[in-house]
Amino acid sequence: MTLEFKSVLPFPLREYNHAGDSVWKNEFVLEFPSKVMLNASSGKGKSTFVNTVYGVRHDYDGTILLNGRDLRSLSLHEWIELRKTSMSVIFQDLQLFGELTAWENLQLKNNLTFHRSDAEIMAMLETLGIPDKKNQTCKTLSLGQQQRVAIIRSLLQPFELLLMDEPFSHLDEENAHIALGLICRETAKNNGGFVLTSLGSKHGFTFDRELKL
Amino acid sequence: MLRKLLFRNSTNFQFVFATAGALIGLTALLLSFQLILDVRSFHSSEKELFGPNSVVIQKKVTKLTTVGMNSTEFTPEDIEALRSKEFITDVAPFQSADFKVGISEVPGDGLPHFYADMFFQAIPDRFMDIDVDWSWNENSEYIPIVLPRDFIMIINYGFAQSQGINQISEELLMAARLTIHIDGNGKKTTMMGRVVGFSQKISSILVPESFLEYANGLYSNGNIINPTRVFITTTDDSYGELEQLMEEMNLDISQASIDVAKIKTIITVVIGIFGVAALLIMLLSLMGFVQYSQLMLSKVSYEIRTLIRIGYSVKTIVMTFVVQMTILFGIITVSSITVMTLVNAFVVNTWLNENGIHLEKSGFLPSVILAAVCFGLFITSNYLSVRKTIFKLGRS
Repeated sequence: MTLEFKSVLPFPLREYNHAGDSVWKNEFVLEFPSKVMLNASSGKGKSTFVNTVYGVRHDYDGTILLNGRDLRSLSLHEWIELRKTSMSVIFQDLQLFGELTAWENLQLKNNLTFHRSDAEIMAMLETLGIPDKKNQTCKTLSLGQQQRVAIIRSLLQPFELLLMDEPFSHLDEENAHIALGLICRETAKNNGGFVLTSLGSKHGFTFDRELKL
Repeated sequence: MLRKLLFRNSTNFQFVFATAGALIGLTALLLSFQLILDVRSFHSSEKELFGPNSVVIQKKVTKLTTVGMNSTEFTPEDIEALRSKEFITDVAPFQSADFKVGISEVPGDGLPHFYADMFFQAIPDRFMDIDVDWSWNENSEYIPIVLPRDFIMIINYGFAQSQGINQISEELLMAARLTIHIDGNGKKTTMMGRVVGFSQKISSILVPESFLEYANGLYSNGNIINPTRVFITTTDDSYGELEQLMEEMNLDISQASIDVAKIKTIITVVIGIFGVAALLIMLLSLMGFVQYSQLMLSKVSYEIRTLIRIGYSVKTIVMTFVVQMTILFGIITVSSITVMTLVNAFVVNTWLNENGIHLEKSGFLPSVILAAVCFGLFITSNYLSVRKTIFKLGRS
């Protein structure tokens, strides 16, 4: 998967001065599979970047090409297909269904893709240390626990690109490390890549490329 | 799980109201529709009031007519003008005998001795308002005659008393034969006749068309006679036009016929208003239901948006709603038909019967078909509205 940025500038960030090596108002190409780190402080547009690439936001100048096609030209149907088969996401606000249990949240995604068996999903819950939270509704889980459910959900589909918007913000360094390990293994199985946004920490990991905002 | 997610808080006030609204709306529509059907059948089965709208018209006799300066005849142009009116569906002039007619008793048949000059007229069979054996040919034993019912009334309650003669029952009059004296074209003859019935509507002495044609052929004095009375059949809601025609042609129409035309016009208009009101109720409940489904969607807009973000297709989500709607509205439709049937049987009919109105039931199939059409309409409009909203949510 190739993502090509041509002078992209989100409307809300027009007033800011952007550094010469910022992704905004620049031309560059991201090739996946590769592991990309997007490091920036608050308010520089990390979530905007993730949401724009994921097709949720359209308020920007410039052009983003996905495998040579303008993102703006994709129909809703094409986006949905893309989100099912080649592009996954962990939103900063997670976007879980609070009324459903952790397990139901995961099943809802897996029922669509049939990507992993129940045993495999259970194994992921165990890896991240929340197997006992399986049948608890998401709204009753702590933010850290919810974050882990969202991480597992994002892995229940084939992907070439996994977009992660501060996925470890509520995890301690040790748990973040374990989670990133799981993500890396799954990414490798999918032969895919990811973009991880973070407030600065690299979680003790080396990336193929680092971007700045 | 999708259903659990999308309908978890759908059983609430709005749901109960929308369902009740749709149930009441559809039941009202079906009830009115059924009633309209029943009344329409009443329309066509009640002879007196709701038979075909046949009216006898004649021109008014004025002072000028009496002194011979004005004619009450309908010229061929007049007849043509009548035929060209849109609200008149049938025109038939009365035929008159062009010879002199007299009747007297047949001795021994029970009638007192009498002789009276008469006239004969004939109308097409389709305008006869009574059911009698109206066939006649040269070999027939007698000529069937129909008298106006008022005629025997005048004889029995007026004439008989003042002249001191016996009253005559309808049966006796119909049993007795009459001697018919015909005089015309230089020839005289007598034939047998018999009264076969009495007409409420036509104040004339009627004989079969076939007889009159035969007799005119033999005894006509050779005059060309324009008819003075014409039978017309009008459409149901034509009272206004009929009144206008009366003005234009200076017509004389019996008050009873005008009243019937008036009543029929009123009923047709009332039924029309009834139908429109029922249709409005249905549309209102349809709108209520579409609004309810929109409310339901807005309550789960986060869920829908997120489902699309994690890869659920619009079609899958729309179908989840439509299946739910179909089940719900299926239940509403079946309930409406049931309620309508019960109300019709136990309330409307009881009430009508108590008031002495006996309707010929016209069957429930048309109502069931109407309910099915409404069902289809509800599902389709909801499908379109849900689909549009979900698309919009998906793009945001």
